[in-house]
Amino acid sequence: MSLEERKKALRYLFGPVVDKLGYKFTPVEEDADFLLEQEALLEAETGIPYCPCQARTKDRAENMRIVCPCIPFHRAHYDAMKRCWCGLYVRKDVTDPDKLKQVPEERINAH
Amino acid sequence: MKKVTIYALSTCLWCRKSKKYFEENKVPFEAVDYDKQSEARQAEMMKEMKCAGCTGSFPFIKIGAACVQGYDPDEFEKLLKK
Amino acid sequence: MGTSAEAAELSKLPEGRPAAAFPLGLPVLLVRRGGEVYALENRCAHMGCPLAAGKLDGYVLQCPCHDWRFDIRDGKFLDAPELAVKIYAAEIKDGKVFVRLP
Repeated sequence: MSLEERKKALRYLFGPVVDKLGYKFTPVEEDADFLLEQEALLEAETGIPYCPCQARTKDRAENMRIVCPCIPFHRAHYDAMKRCWCGLYVRKDVTDPDKLKQVPEERINAH
Repeated sequence: MKKVTIYALSTCLWCRKSKKYFEENKVPFEAVDYDKQSEARQAEMMKEMKCAGCTGSFPFIKIGAACVQGYDPDEFEKLLKK
Repeated sequence: MGTSAEAAELSKLPEGRPAAAFPLGLPVLLVRRGGEVYALENRCAHMGCPLAAGKLDGYVLQCPCHDWRFDIRDGKFLDAPELAVKIYAAEIKDGKVFVRLP
C-alpha cells in the first residue's frame, strides 16, 4: 500500500471514531495532510499509528495512550483546548483552528 | 540574548512551527530532535521535561531559565522580552 | 428483527476465554461466563483488530492491538462510552449457542 493510500485509509478508519467523540479532522488541509503522513510513516516503522507530537517511552501502557486517535485518554485536556495535542482533530464547532492554543496538560489541571 | 533550545520530534508539526517562529524573529536557537537521539540521551531529555512539570508532549522549549511546552507565540515573546 | 444463527456448540466454548465464531460468515466473538454467553462483533472499534485474541479480565476485554478495553456485557469502550463494539443477543438451545444477527 502506498503512503497516500494509507493516509486515506487512516482517515477512513479514524473519521467515524472521532465523530462520535465530538471531533473532526482539522479544516486546515495542509496540517491534516502533514500529520496523517507522519502517522502513516510511524505506522510503517513501528506497526502503530502513534501521535507524531508525543514521545514514546519503553512503557507499553504509556505508549498505548498516544495511539491515534488518543482523545479518549486525554479527554479533559483536549476538550479544554478544543483540539488534540497534535491538532489533527478539533472539536466539531471549531472553524478557525489557528486561533486555538496548545496548552500543556498541567496548566489546564491547575485551573 | 537569551539562549533558546527547542526539544522537538522530527514528526511534529508544532515543533516545525516553533522553529519557524524563532527563525522569522531572528532569534538564534539550538534544536534537538528527541526521536533521533540515543536511548540514554532520550532518557535524560525526558527526565528534564518531567522535572519541569511537563509531559512527553512536544515541542518543549527552553528560553533562558524558563521553559514552555507547546507552540505558544505569545508566551515565546513574553519570555524573550523578560 | 434479524436472523438467529448457530454460532457454536456450548460444550466446545471455553469458560472465560474469548472464542472467535463465524455465524453466517460474520466475525463474532463469544465469551462464556458462568451460565451466560456473551456475543460481540469480533472487531475493535478503533482499527478493526480481531478482539478474540485479547485478554479477558472479569467482564473487561482488552484488544490485543492497542489495549482498548470493552465491557463484554454492553460492548462499551471503557475510556469513552460513546464508542462501543456491537453486541448480539445470544441464546442457548439444545446445547448450541445461537446469536441474533441484524
